[in-house]
Amino acid sequence: MTLGHLSALSPELFLTIAALGLLLADAVWPGRRKTSVAVAIGAVLAAAVLLFKCGGDGVVLGMMAADGMGRFFKLILLGGMALVLWMSLDYRAFRSSSADREETVSETAWGTYAALLLLATVGLLLLVSAVDFLLIVVALELIGVTSFILTGFLRHDRRSNEAAIKYFLVGAFSSALMIYGVSLLYGITGSTAIRAVLEADLGVASRFPLIAAVLFILVGFGFKLAMVPFHMWVPDAYEGAPTPITAFLSVAPKAAAAGILVRTFAAHGELGLSSLLAVLAAVTMTVGNLAALRQSNVKRLLAYSSIAQMGYVLVGFVAAGKLGILSVLVYSAAYLVMNLGAFACVIAVSNDAGMDDLMGFSGLSRRSLPLALATTVFMLSLTGIPPMVGFVGKFSVFAAAVAEGWVWLAVVGVINSVISLYYYFGIVHRMFFVDSERPLRISVAASLVGCISVTLLGTLAAGLFPGPLLEWVRRVVL
Amino acid sequence: MGLLSLIVFVPLIGALSMLFLKDDARGRDSARWLATAFSAVPLVLSGWLYFDFDTASPAMQYLEKLRWIPAFNIHYSVGVDGLSLPLVILTALLSFVAVVASFGIEHRVREYFFWFLALECGMLGVFVAQDFFLFYVFWEVTLVPMYFLIGIWGGPKKEYAAIKFFLYTLAGSVFLLLGMLALYFAGEIRTFDFVELAQQSRGMAMGMQILIFLALYVGFAVKIPAFPFHTWLPLAHVEAPTAVSVILAGVLLKMGVYGLLRVSFPILPQATQWFIYPMTVIAFINIVYGAFCAMAQKDMKRMVAYSSINHMGYCLLGMAALTGVNAAAGLSGAVLQMVTHGIITGSLFLLVGVLYDRAHTRDIDQFGGLGAKLPVYTGIMTVQVMASLGLPGLAGFVSEFLCSSAPSDRRLCGCGWRFR
Repeated sequence: MTLGHLSALSPELFLTIAALGLLLADAVWPGRRKTSVAVAIGAVLAAAVLLFKCGGDGVVLGMMAADGMGRFFKLILLGGMALVLWMSLDYRAFRSSSADREETVSETAWGTYAALLLLATVGLLLLVSAVDFLLIVVALELIGVTSFILTGFLRHDRRSNEAAIKYFLVGAFSSALMIYGVSLLYGITGSTAIRAVLEADLGVASRFPLIAAVLFILVGFGFKLAMVPFHMWVPDAYEGAPTPITAFLSVAPKAAAAGILVRTFAAHGELGLSSLLAVLAAVTMTVGNLAALRQSNVKRLLAYSSIAQMGYVLVGFVAAGKLGILSVLVYSAAYLVMNLGAFACVIAVSNDAGMDDLMGFSGLSRRSLPLALATTVFMLSLTGIPPMVGFVGKFSVFAAAVAEGWVWLAVVGVINSVISLYYYFGIVHRMFFVDSERPLRISVAASLVGCISVTLLGTLAAGLFPGPLLEWVRRVVL
Repeated sequence: MGLLSLIVFVPLIGALSMLFLKDDARGRDSARWLATAFSAVPLVLSGWLYFDFDTASPAMQYLEKLRWIPAFNIHYSVGVDGLSLPLVILTALLSFVAVVASFGIEHRVREYFFWFLALECGMLGVFVAQDFFLFYVFWEVTLVPMYFLIGIWGGPKKEYAAIKFFLYTLAGSVFLLLGMLALYFAGEIRTFDFVELAQQSRGMAMGMQILIFLALYVGFAVKIPAFPFHTWLPLAHVEAPTAVSVILAGVLLKMGVYGLLRVSFPILPQATQWFIYPMTVIAFINIVYGAFCAMAQKDMKRMVAYSSINHMGYCLLGMAALTGVNAAAGLSGAVLQMVTHGIITGSLFLLVGVLYDRAHTRDIDQFGGLGAKLPVYTGIMTVQVMASLGLPGLAGFVSEFLCSSAPSDRRLCGCGWRFR
């Protein structure tokens, strides 16, 4: 451990210290929501600065790679976490079951909440730069444990508790499978480094256990990505969790898992797993989209939509090659921005309506045209219609698929885009075509206005002028 | 900023300006006049374009080319030639007319003109884009405003019509996207430029050409609409408000034909030849089936809608003459048919709208003896119907004559002529 290592680890270390500080502060001065969240946002932004000030390429302690791809994912994740924290500022929890809808804010330990999110961020940053399966497991556990607690953070809401327990059980199960895979791998190759899998020069005899080990590890990633058939936990966990946490769950662990996926198994072709992954990608898109068609709760709808969206990322991953990896990076960034924007809009609407039902969106265009238009932009982007950033993502993914000869997968993908239009525009339909029973103008908290503006700007700017984003990603991949 | 960019983006500025108006009586009035002004600018500029355009030159004129997305070698590239120019003028003209015809809209006026002007920007963009990616972006941009225009200001089944329109055309255009990507990766140089694509596709294998052609064709055929992808059209037309029907029939349908002429024909010549015969058959089904359907309608708007399917069949027929001796006549006919059909059908929809606003019915049987009560209206209507029919001396005749006489097989000519 040298000073250079410390410097490369500085964002993670800084965030850990900030998180511990917030935990202590919460014990001394409880219930300071605005301050805690603001401090956490500051810490995340400072970590982003540290990331670029103290960078340098190389491998740290044989565990972490400090490289362009890592920095790309770290930066978008830090941006995403800042947005998640920002939209937590004015989130109002309401109880679905009992008569008194509003949970008193002081009941919730916001310092702990912010600290847990920071710790989860540390896990995310470690995950995307890990080059050793041991660190991957540890990072996934760090993300997992913090997410379980955050999902159950509305202690008096039964759905939140249920969601946390379901998520915990599934998460523990998937970690166990993954650790089993890693131990198999260690048994075969004598190493836990990612390189060991790729460089394993094995006879036919040990090829089967190697594939088995890789599959177990992939199952672990599959749970994080919510790949079908490992997606069952998603709708319940998303519905019960506080909405900012749902936003967090729907983007951050997924983007990070996509990042580690391209780092570990981009060479899935050599392992003979491409066809299997292609089928899983197709099934993931289709199942997610078809299930989303029938949802009436907006959080469940976005949960299924997020499953489908990960299917598109997997298409890029299956295509592999330079363009495939590029498309995974582009899609992850695009998805992060537009989905966080969509969730910020959901929080704005649910705060006003006191429910997560799609009904809350009825007549929104006459209650706040800017909010309705912003939501429309995010829905268009999620559908993949230009000139939004979602189209840039879909374009790169399908371009990679066509270029690498996965035409059937691209066809399945575009047909899925058409299906997804129906439910995304179910929301738009409610906002513009349906009359509202609540004629009052909607008032949106300043923090949410800020959050929506930033994501909206990102969605439109990167959609209209994707040049810089693509150029950056291309430099990282090449 | 060049002339063409100005034509395309002035309506967009107009659309954005709508968001800053207040939603009161004065705001509504200023929305109407602002929309008129912002749609008049492209009309005046395209009029200037008409006189300034060098008709002797076959080259692309008023070219603007800027780097847009270097990672994929995508350019912002616009220009007009003899194929684009008439359609740009047609779009500017019909948009202006439709804005004026929308003064009667009393409900959510700002939003209406916001979507309307955004739509105009998209349509103009489609006709001037010279880069496939840019073309596709504009192509998709037209879908969203149309969804809202039908869905909010339409008739009784507007919501169903709106989403059906959107799903149908999006389903078509995603195949367009796949075809576009396949073209991009098929060549030596990675490019989306129409001219460069045409240059390097010469050596492409026939099977590949046909596959790409079919993918593109699905996208364009839904817009035209060519049988069997036409079922969205009558519904969308009937439910849309008058001015939107004008745009739908006058401009949006032309985008499909234009796409075939601009993209498929020059870039995939062998596949086009291969497809000539099926296309002739489809043209005939469109003509005959569209005519019979129109004949059976009691609703005037529905009748005009089906007649559009019939008229688009003539466009296809003219284009199918590509390989024959009458290629020049056929293609000129197809382009002219786009313009004349746009004007004639646009005015027919306006005329039907005039009646509907007053009588609140479009049932043809209810209007017996209208000539005695509204002589001037009936006179205008008669002229337009005759033009649509193709009476010599009126615009429809010239283009339909060219289209119908173009096929090299004489038996086809006669058949086409009888079903006017």
